[in-house]
Amino acid sequence: MATVTFSDTTRFYAGVDRPAVDGLDLEVADGEFLVLVGPSGCGKSTTLRMLAGLEGVDDGSIHIGDRDVTELPPKDRDTAMVFQNYALYPHMTVGENIGFHLKLAKMPKAERERKVAEAAAVLDLTEYLDRKPAKLSGGQRQRVAMGRAIVREPSVFLMDEPLSNLDAKLRVQTRTQIASLQRRLGITTLYVTHDQVEAMTMGDRVAVLKDGILQQCDTPVGLFAKPVNVFVAGFIGSPAMNLLETTVDSDGAVAGGTRLPLTPAQRSALTGPGIVVGVRPEGWTIGDGGFEAIVEVVEELGSDQYLYCRDGDRVLTVRTPGMAPWQRGEPISLTPQPGAVHLFDAATGDRLPDA
Amino acid sequence: MSVTDVEAPPRPSPKPVRKPPRKPRPAPGSKRFSPLRVLGSTIVWLFTAGNILVLYWLLTASFKTPVEIFTKPFDLPYQWFKVGKPFRNFIYAWNNAGFGEAVLTTVVLVGLATVVTVAVSAPCAYALTRLGVRGSGPMTNVVAIGMGVPFQTVIIPLFVVLSKVHLDNEYGLFVLYVALSIPFTVFLMTGFFRSLPDELEEAAALDGASPMRTFFSVMLPLTRGGMITALTLNAIGLWNETLLAIVFLKDQAHFTLSRALFTFYGAASYQSEYGGLIAGVAIVVLPMLVLYLVLARRIITGLTLGAGK
Amino acid sequence: MATVTTPATPPARAVKAGAHLSRKKRLFWPFAAPALVLYLAFLVLPTIATVVLSFTSWAGAGDTPEPNGVTNYTQMWASDSFQYAFRNTLIYVFLGGIGTFALAFLFTMVLRDMKGGKIVRAILFFPNIVAPVALGMFLGFVFKYQPGKQGLANYVLEGLGADAAKFLAPSNVTGVVTASLIWASSGFYITILMAAVDRIPPYLYEDAELGGASPWQKFRNITLPMTWDVVGVAGVLWTINALKIFELVFVLAGPGTYAPPNEAWTLGIYVFDRTFGSNGTPDFGAACACAVAMIALVSVLVVLLRRLMRRDAIQF
Repeated sequence: MATVTFSDTTRFYAGVDRPAVDGLDLEVADGEFLVLVGPSGCGKSTTLRMLAGLEGVDDGSIHIGDRDVTELPPKDRDTAMVFQNYALYPHMTVGENIGFHLKLAKMPKAERERKVAEAAAVLDLTEYLDRKPAKLSGGQRQRVAMGRAIVREPSVFLMDEPLSNLDAKLRVQTRTQIASLQRRLGITTLYVTHDQVEAMTMGDRVAVLKDGILQQCDTPVGLFAKPVNVFVAGFIGSPAMNLLETTVDSDGAVAGGTRLPLTPAQRSALTGPGIVVGVRPEGWTIGDGGFEAIVEVVEELGSDQYLYCRDGDRVLTVRTPGMAPWQRGEPISLTPQPGAVHLFDAATGDRLPDA
Repeated sequence: MSVTDVEAPPRPSPKPVRKPPRKPRPAPGSKRFSPLRVLGSTIVWLFTAGNILVLYWLLTASFKTPVEIFTKPFDLPYQWFKVGKPFRNFIYAWNNAGFGEAVLTTVVLVGLATVVTVAVSAPCAYALTRLGVRGSGPMTNVVAIGMGVPFQTVIIPLFVVLSKVHLDNEYGLFVLYVALSIPFTVFLMTGFFRSLPDELEEAAALDGASPMRTFFSVMLPLTRGGMITALTLNAIGLWNETLLAIVFLKDQAHFTLSRALFTFYGAASYQSEYGGLIAGVAIVVLPMLVLYLVLARRIITGLTLGAGK
Repeated sequence: MATVTTPATPPARAVKAGAHLSRKKRLFWPFAAPALVLYLAFLVLPTIATVVLSFTSWAGAGDTPEPNGVTNYTQMWASDSFQYAFRNTLIYVFLGGIGTFALAFLFTMVLRDMKGGKIVRAILFFPNIVAPVALGMFLGFVFKYQPGKQGLANYVLEGLGADAAKFLAPSNVTGVVTASLIWASSGFYITILMAAVDRIPPYLYEDAELGGASPWQKFRNITLPMTWDVVGVAGVLWTINALKIFELVFVLAGPGTYAPPNEAWTLGIYVFDRTFGSNGTPDFGAACACAVAMIALVSVLVVLLRRLMRRDAIQF
């Protein structure tokens, strides 16, 4: 059983007071593809490296299955890692690169070569086995790095932003390949990325981190539909959710010309007078009062159109069907659709109980 | 599936403020205290201590009497200090062994030679790397091979020829020092010139600069680092050069420092003038030490520029 | 459908590039000539002259060179002092080289992770800026054996209760010189190797760590292959310099004004001795013959070394 459990795992860097990873509690199920996502410096790579054994753990523990691996050296943990810049040995051929860890483990040559050939076949690298990395394209190098990981048949795969060095088109292609490979092999995988699109499309579950603290770990739908705080709400989804700080009066939250009614539970959950109204670009109804704004920028994508509208010092993002006749400078009225509103406390950023 | 179907997720629980540890834990399994590492570190520290000890010994011994040097090598000097003549050894070396004159001769000779060497080698290196003449590559290799020629292989013909034209003195030595430093300097400078981007020359040409102008105003200043490295390394090498000085300098009044030291060695052991000898060594070594301390980074960068490629 | 032909490079552009380039090319000889002339006159021609002279017999000033075929070479080969010199030079090149490089690698691996590694490296580089003459004198002094006036090494030995050793006795002197060479040279090669090792990306070591590599495996599979080219260049430098050794041994093993005992000789000392004739008249022919032997030896060694170290260039 290759589950991964982080219990109150903490890591400090020398000279910095704030921990890089602060008390992480996370459970990864056997065979699950879990994505760690967040802005730079949020601690996602550190978490991965702690699991790999490349970083020490200052507090808390890490378990793989039933084993406590917190103090184990990397080679005893039965993990395999794909580095962001692939870490291919430039003086070794593709075949030697893939088989390197097996050679270190003193596997007999025949068996080693068999395994390498199998991995190469899976990844379409058989004709490149005798080439050196310098003569490979970026996508091929990425596959060699993957090959080196899968040939070890580990309990856990660790991937540290493996797609960030590829161009956009190749990234999309490789994304699906990695996801289907993982499903086929069924190995528990932890995947680190800063790109929320990758996170949403690849992960069974996604863990969002900020400043070393886990914000929310949920399925992509859950993150999208029920972000637990303002940060997650603004991070997931592209273009980002509109987060409008406004006040509450006796009728409800002030939303331009209209009011959004609040339940008693929501009112009592508020810690102060401020409230944040979250509306995704596709959650607006155009017309009917609400927020009054002027269209500033029209982004035409063919299938969709995004309008960036200015209301005072706020910019509201609206999605409209493609090739709609909106022009710069036109006035526009935006009302949030009922049920498409996310409410957050302005002071703490936490989500208010749903209506 | 509407928004209200999904369960409200748990919020991130507030974390207690943690106190950072004095030193974060190292990665597990990184053997900080493996026997190999301990052995290696010990050897390194022994060596380092040894080198520092040598310097200490040199500095203190240059103030000591011969008796002190042999019986109390590691103590601080006191004998000459007691008698009120702490610099006696240095004065001896300066006057009796001719180190005073030698300093002047060496400074002028080495200084001029290094400047002329670089003045002659930099344009040559530029020509070989950037002027795109056919055969530049092989020509550079031919010049570089000159670095491998031991000086012993040329002393006889040079000695004979220079004696015939009465240049077997410091003037002939000057020319020799320049000529024999050229292979290394050209080689070093080609490395630096090669690393400059083409666009600079093209931009200068587009601005209307003549090739001569381009060289002097654009390319040369950019290799300033390389030139300083070349000057420094050549200066150190020529300051310490002894073989040619022995062959070509016969008039004691015109000795270089290392030449003077060489002669002094024989005389000093005969007279047991060890204090003066070591003071002489100090006079030869210390200026280079100062130069090294000031320019260490440059020297090392220059050496490793070729190595790092 | 009309065929589209790729247009040739517009002639106007080609002419302009040509004009600029030919103006640049005109600078070639004015720039390169002074250095090349000096090089030719003072290195190339004398070397050729030396080769020619090695086939003559010439007793220096006041005598004229008389061709004598290969007598110089046969005599040289048969002489004891040449045998010693040849043997010693080879020992210094090979044993000294292996010792220096082994030490340099060891130091490099230790200094990389050490705080203050750069300072230590600077301290270890120190012997390189000291005149070989001075080094030789210093070491001669350190290894002195004279009861009552012991050198530093024997002072320490006696202080520890051991007997003083005759370090510079002809039978021991080669070993002592080799050790001194290694001490004096390692700083230089440590510096070069450290620069090369610094270029190796750390994530390669991390990946090896994940694979459970021991320090030796990391060295053999990562450090050594990725510094191979630099090691090759450094090896050539070492060979060239080790062959030239003169002042260090001359002053260390000898009394200073004349040559040390035969057993300590290097090829460089042999040439010097034959040029100034410590055993009677100078023998320029013999000196030239030895000089030619030196050139031949250095060429063979360098070519062999380069062949041995040859490998497809790897980029990283």
